Amino acid sequence: MVKFLKPNKAVILLQGRYAGRKAVIVRSFDEGTRDRPHCLVAGIKKYPSKVIRKDSAKKTAKKSRVKAFVKLVNFQHLMPTRYTLDVDLKDVVAVDSLQSKDKKVTAAKETKKRLEERFKTGKNRWFFTKLRF
Amino acid sequence: MVAGKKTKTHESINNRLALVMKSGKYTLGYKTVLRSLRNSKGKLIIISSNCPPLRKSEIEYYAMLAKVGVHHFVGNNNDLGTACGKYYRVSCLSIIDPGDSDIIKTLPGDH
Repeated sequence: MVKFLKPNKAVILLQGRYAGRKAVIVRSFDEGTRDRPHCLVAGIKKYPSKVIRKDSAKKTAKKSRVKAFVKLVNFQHLMPTRYTLDVDLKDVVAVDSLQSKDKKVTAAKETKKRLEERFKTGKNRWFFTKLRF
Repeated sequence: MVAGKKTKTHESINNRLALVMKSGKYTLGYKTVLRSLRNSKGKLIIISSNCPPLRKSEIEYYAMLAKVGVHHFVGNNNDLGTACGKYYRVSCLSIIDPGDSDIIKTLPGDH
């Protein structure tokens, strides 16, 4: 009876090109546009690779790169998890940033930056590991 | 073990379910159960015993996130359909509004 598809919830995409990728809900539209309840998610397109202690600074920088995406997804195509990701993406990602290609690219670049700095702090380690299936 | 439980509490569950069917709101079926959990309308989920285990754990996970009780019905989907008064099988159902029944108060000691 508790609403759990709220902003900052970590979810896994189930369908589409990004199936199997982890994402975080940025904004949810419960009464949707016209018919379907959906939400705006920002997720990881390419996970950062495993960084070992032996790596040089240049290599760790290269390995910690994250490629992000922004998408509107129906709730039915998400698997919610018990994890949350407290990263502030509301000012970066908005519905109108999906209207045109370059706006989408800038939104994705900005989320990439925020996600990368979160990855480097070492928190939310579950979110940045690839789901094996 | 199953036969022993079937006597008293089982009949009372059936009675309560019949009352919900008559006076309350419910949805039957996996897709609508998940939908009712997502928009936090469901108050109690009942799963039959032969629900496939992956689906059962998925419903239980959603219910854990939504803090909704799950009751494992003693009986398979045929029995659960009959208990709902339907002529088809029901593998999982979600009670949205119990109506006159007290099924929500008496059941979730169970989980």
